[in-house]
Amino acid sequence: MIDFERFTLKNGLRVLFHQDLTTPMAVVNTLYDVGARDENENKTGFAHLFEHLMFGGSIHIPDFDAPLQNAGGESNAFTSNDLTNYYNVLPKENIETALWLESDRMLSLAFTPKSLEVQRNVVIEEFKQRYLNQPYGDVWLELRPLAYEVHPYKWATIGKNIQHIQDATMEDVRVFFKKHYHPANAVLCIAGNFELEEVKMLVEKYYGEIPAQEKNVRMLNKEPEQTIFKEKTIYRKVPADAFYFAFKMPERKNPEYYIVDALSDALGREKSSRLFVELKKEKKLCSEIQAYITGNTDVGLLVISGKLHNGVNFTDFEKALWACIGDFSKSFMSDDEMIKLVNKIRTSKEFQEQGLLNRAMNLSFFELLGDANGINEELEIYQKITVHDIQEIAKRILKQTNCTLLRVIADNNETNG
Amino acid sequence: MRQMDRYIAPPLNPIESIDFINPKVFDINPNVKLIFMSEVPNETSRVDLYFDAGTIKGEKGTASFVNGLLLSGNEEISSTQISHQMDLLGGFFESGITSEGAVISVYALRENMPALLQLIKKSISEMNCSAKEVEELVQDKKQRFQVNLQKTRFLAQRAFQHNLFFSHPDYAKVVEEDYYENVEPIKLKRFFNDNYLHGLTKVAVVGNFSQDFVDEIIDLFGEWAKEPSCEYARDFKNRVGLYAVEKSDAMQAAIRVGKILFNKTHPDYNDFQILNTIIGDYFGSRLMTNIREDKGYTYGIGSMVAEFNNFGYFMIATEVGKEFKDATLKEIKYEINRLQAELVPQRELDVIKNYLLGQLLKSADGPYSMIDLYLNAEIHDMSLEFYNESIKSIREITPERIQELAKKYLSWDEMTIVTAG
Repeated sequence: MIDFERFTLKNGLRVLFHQDLTTPMAVVNTLYDVGARDENENKTGFAHLFEHLMFGGSIHIPDFDAPLQNAGGESNAFTSNDLTNYYNVLPKENIETALWLESDRMLSLAFTPKSLEVQRNVVIEEFKQRYLNQPYGDVWLELRPLAYEVHPYKWATIGKNIQHIQDATMEDVRVFFKKHYHPANAVLCIAGNFELEEVKMLVEKYYGEIPAQEKNVRMLNKEPEQTIFKEKTIYRKVPADAFYFAFKMPERKNPEYYIVDALSDALGREKSSRLFVELKKEKKLCSEIQAYITGNTDVGLLVISGKLHNGVNFTDFEKALWACIGDFSKSFMSDDEMIKLVNKIRTSKEFQEQGLLNRAMNLSFFELLGDANGINEELEIYQKITVHDIQEIAKRILKQTNCTLLRVIADNNETNG
Repeated sequence: MRQMDRYIAPPLNPIESIDFINPKVFDINPNVKLIFMSEVPNETSRVDLYFDAGTIKGEKGTASFVNGLLLSGNEEISSTQISHQMDLLGGFFESGITSEGAVISVYALRENMPALLQLIKKSISEMNCSAKEVEELVQDKKQRFQVNLQKTRFLAQRAFQHNLFFSHPDYAKVVEEDYYENVEPIKLKRFFNDNYLHGLTKVAVVGNFSQDFVDEIIDLFGEWAKEPSCEYARDFKNRVGLYAVEKSDAMQAAIRVGKILFNKTHPDYNDFQILNTIIGDYFGSRLMTNIREDKGYTYGIGSMVAEFNNFGYFMIATEVGKEFKDATLKEIKYEINRLQAELVPQRELDVIKNYLLGQLLKSADGPYSMIDLYLNAEIHDMSLEFYNESIKSIREITPERIQELAKKYLSWDEMTIVTAG
């Protein structure tokens, strides 16, 4: 159970406070309701490039990091297709430094053309390091536009291509800031050994004067229901053939989201999961296999991915895979399988919630979804899932017409005998 | 409300002291200890078992294969059944290996840990390196190795390790394709028997457990305790010079620069860590400021001090656009020379002092962080007093001392330099 208090400033900033009397550290977490899905299709990679620029100085403060380091703290951020999250961890006595820095960059940015130029290059190197200079690194750049027809999830957070990042201008960045970075579009979470009144006073002091702005109404292209099997085969200089089966699944706020999550665990989370046991241990068709969900806010993907054993062909593998996942629609899972899923989830949650930063980030995320208390209701939702629920969802999700398959074929396969 | 001046930073409060909490320590035998941290405010728990089963022992990939086989079962109980039992208890198992040791970690809710440890003990005790499991593991590892060969960072790290540890063949050996040929289960079995069933060197327990349970853990795993104390190599010398690994289709080059150095037992260790921070161990470091934030050559560059039982090494690591490879090496050299030639400005040093004290405070926050701090000192027979020495070192360090250390330890012609790309 993660306790929290909630209040809202006049300018629309939603604030959460989580008290932890045991820690000498404080967390200031700021979640902005903007991600890669809010980008223009011809200017992708922007939300993430922008996140880099947020460290390039704000209206009254030339450098973000040095004052925070001077206060004994550190900061970082991440961007996804759905959101952008900035966090600071520092000794609690110096929490005002984090509030001063974060509120100033919510008020207004002041980065220079040089900073834009450099961060463009940094992001391009990040693009290479993560996506282009790794074996199998570009599969998500291929899989997204194949799986999604119109929804902006069809491009990756890093962007469709390097050119989009190269073309970003100062004006683009200013427009982006104006539209997405203001109090009503953010959730602020403070965690640490404080009292509520103290937190209210400090937040009012630093954020109270930031002008209010109307929250942007999100109008995204709605992904039509998939009705045909989609597939693509790409050839890469990699040592082993790889597969990515992506099934469309409900959005984050749909109650069925949790059932699909449990289904993905049953399929391929652990070494006792169905796919691992049947396809790897028993039939020896693949060297690795796992199933997981992308966890998106809008319509997401349940993904089964892995690598074939050398010498196994896709036809044999695919036949066996469809038979294995077909069993979920045909018969109930065993009670043991259900118990395993819930017990694993329980342990994972307890460990995740051990860290102060994780607690603050999770509260912020659930508040963005609608209610921070959602984090405390999750376990019960998982516990209520029945084998019947799993079977019903498997019938609807794990079918060919709901599937996108990307195959990566090793171009130099013959040399690896 | 009075309008505040946003140009002025809020006043800072210095960190006065840090509470380091000592775990309880029990002797399993004169050389093997159990370290117990009971102050856990939630239901999580972790048990780590350390073994003298690192890669310097055994030929080729033996140590690594055995580490991967620990839960592979036998004719009676399969690896799948073991996983199934573990999952029923909601437990997680990890195993890892370094040159000088191996460790397994078990994570679970407190209520499930007793049953989980019984399962782990029984499974490992009865593991018999079955031919079927060995073959599967070797094939999987071979494929992973082939994937790794496509990564410039892997190629660079491999070549760096080879040249860094050149004086000691056991440490300098790197994985080759032939590691995966003709693996004999009987040899693995022997290694397993010698270094796991008689190779336990330490146990660490975190969780709100009773003393009785700790005694049970000692009873359960005590028979694996290693009798003689461990001896490790010393007097390392890296092979200096530039070594380039060719990977013509790479878009980025991986770079490693470093040399053999010392561990916590050396009197210059604490002060050198501050120099290391200035060079590349925080976001505002000299290397990040120059090579990322000014030039945009890389997504990240960092430096570190790695520690072994009797020595350590210093390393700078990055991946840069291939067209920036030479320019990056030039800038790394420039930054090291600058630390030798010029005093660090007091303002920069003050920021680092505050930053490091804040990080030390954070690394003592919570039972898991605390036991890791303790273990990092304990491995060198040092107590938590070491960290009070670190605080003293941070408070007292001067620009002159930083320059002295840069001159003493960071001579460019003592470096092993590797590029891959």
